[in-house]
Amino acid sequence: MVVRLENKAIRSVAVIGGGTMGVGIARVAAGRDIAVYLCEKDAPAAGDSSEALARELDYEMSRWSLTASEKEAVSRRIRVGFEISDAAGADLVIETVSENFELKSRLFTALDAICDKSIIFITNTSTLSISELAAASRRADRFVGLHFLNPATRTAVVEVIRGLATSDATVAAVKDFSRQLGKTPIEVFEYPGYVTTRVMLPMINEAIHVVMEGVASAEDVDTAMKLGYNLEAGPLALADRMGLDEVMHWMEHLFRELGDLKYRPCPLLRKMVRAGRLGVKSGEGFFRYEKAE
Amino acid sequence: MEILVLNSGSSSLKFQLIETSPEQIEADSDRVRARGVVEKIGSGEAIISIEAGGKKTKTSEEVLEHRDAVHIAASCLQSSGDLEQDQIEGVGHRIVHGGEQFTQSVLIDDEVLQHIQEAIELAPLHNPHNLKGYLAAREMLPRAKHAAVFDTSFHQTLPRHAFLYGLPYVFYDRLRVRRYGFHGTSHRYVAYRYARLFGKTRRDYKLITCHLGNGCSVCAIDHGRSVDTSMGFTPLEGLLMGTRAGDVDPAAVLHVMAKEELTLHEVSSLLNKHSGLYGLSGISNDMRQLIEQSEKGNDRARAAIDVFCYRVKKYIGAYLATLNGADAVLFTGGIGENAPSVRAQICDGLDSLGIVLDPAKNKAAQGEICRISSDDSACQVWVIPTNEELLIARDTLRCILGLPHP
Repeated sequence: MVVRLENKAIRSVAVIGGGTMGVGIARVAAGRDIAVYLCEKDAPAAGDSSEALARELDYEMSRWSLTASEKEAVSRRIRVGFEISDAAGADLVIETVSENFELKSRLFTALDAICDKSIIFITNTSTLSISELAAASRRADRFVGLHFLNPATRTAVVEVIRGLATSDATVAAVKDFSRQLGKTPIEVFEYPGYVTTRVMLPMINEAIHVVMEGVASAEDVDTAMKLGYNLEAGPLALADRMGLDEVMHWMEHLFRELGDLKYRPCPLLRKMVRAGRLGVKSGEGFFRYEKAE
Repeated sequence: MEILVLNSGSSSLKFQLIETSPEQIEADSDRVRARGVVEKIGSGEAIISIEAGGKKTKTSEEVLEHRDAVHIAASCLQSSGDLEQDQIEGVGHRIVHGGEQFTQSVLIDDEVLQHIQEAIELAPLHNPHNLKGYLAAREMLPRAKHAAVFDTSFHQTLPRHAFLYGLPYVFYDRLRVRRYGFHGTSHRYVAYRYARLFGKTRRDYKLITCHLGNGCSVCAIDHGRSVDTSMGFTPLEGLLMGTRAGDVDPAAVLHVMAKEELTLHEVSSLLNKHSGLYGLSGISNDMRQLIEQSEKGNDRARAAIDVFCYRVKKYIGAYLATLNGADAVLFTGGIGENAPSVRAQICDGLDSLGIVLDPAKNKAAQGEICRISSDDSACQVWVIPTNEELLIARDTLRCILGLPHP
């Protein structure tokens, strides 16, 4: 185990965007003694983020991984608000708003105006161009992508994505920060799907083909892959968790960007998305789920 | 010599300023100049309690990290009286895990620091916090000499048959998996203090020392040497504790892990932080509250106390066998010093082994040195409040002056 003992460690971060990823990242950082400012667009959205955070911490308590006093300490380290100006002063800024280029670039321009030039900006985008966003931040050398997998609290790897102008020092600093969060960083260049999505999605798509072609049942496909390759979950259960609409969007994105037929979404996937069977979030995908709410 | 003693935990920093010298050690007249604790480090409202120059103060302010806490400790010592920071010549640090490297306290140099960092793997819940305290103090008091006093070093005298586990030997070779034992400074202190009452040294007695605090352990001391102790590879083994499970069949843990699909982190947190008195009672990890609830008829509180006492009794029995009889059983730690009913329950029915309490003396003994066994008890039983800080200060002095360790 590597424990950082130097004092260079990041002590405060601003997380802009309090959706699933934002809340997850905030929780991970707060668990590592980092003060977090979690910023949403308005008061109701900030309220939702606070609730999501409380739910996450309660879940962890139910899994024995957190005590009541640890929960209190973690909560105390996260301040939820909706004033972007409060992000000034943080050691690091992480953006996790929705995947919309206009929105993100406007945000980075605004952040550039209030944050010191030395501060590294991180985007959590998985589909937009880091290099293009970097331009809006006016600090292209200190701009980098950091891809957390969902759930950020329980996935041990992060992808550090270099844009064209990202400096080596920035990459090194963000790798250190990842380790500070207890994650193992891997370095990737800007490219559709990076590693984790690019390799996993075709496997999921292939699993759907196997089901569509009647080779095996969804259950048996997952059992085979789970037990055969020691996966924590089978590809179809994983697709259900990601959301089948998300899986389809991703396949289309890879297909469009890379132009290879192997990325063509399986027709059964399209059919299920059209029928509203989106996986865990709709209560049914390849498997049935008890609805969360 | 002025020695600052630091005990740095996950969210607290305890400190004492102790004046000691070889002559004062000989005369047992070391002087505590100040003491204090910073609690809830990492929060906006840390609690700082300080006792110095006959004055007690309690304040609350933002203390975000250990560095700030050490700063508070050092500056309060300055402002409270006649002491300049420069007068602190030595700083003694409590370090939980020293691995097999350290059989006694040492001055911290780069090599020692390296070993302590390596031992983080063995004590991930403790050593990192101890180190934070050291790094902060080194920055604050660069001219002082810093010593590491390990919880484990006193137990490095354990014979092989007591420290090996029944696992393939390769795990001892490869991963240093073995019994290390903890609370060494406390066990050593009460043994010293007991012997000193009679003008002797701990080498003159066979003792069973019970440190019953939030963490709990029992130690068998054979003429000064620790020969067995209940904590093991980590502080998790042995007695039932505030939130730690103590002894449990590893297969039961594997079963729970598999059935509840727990990760390593989850099961570690379960065993260390959600079990013990707290987990069994579902009420609290605080023995005082459990005694209160049990007296009101709460059966789960009763069960937790019963398991707690029974397990201590079992270890005392085992160590009587280890030592082939003992001169005395010593109780220390928050529970050991202050809970007569727990001591009574532990010692109940041990008369055939020569242990008989005097109920009145036991009831009266709270937080001070006191014999609690009856006059005809072959094995004496004493309450001896622990004082790890004193030994840390003395060890630090010995390290600085190059004196032998007792």
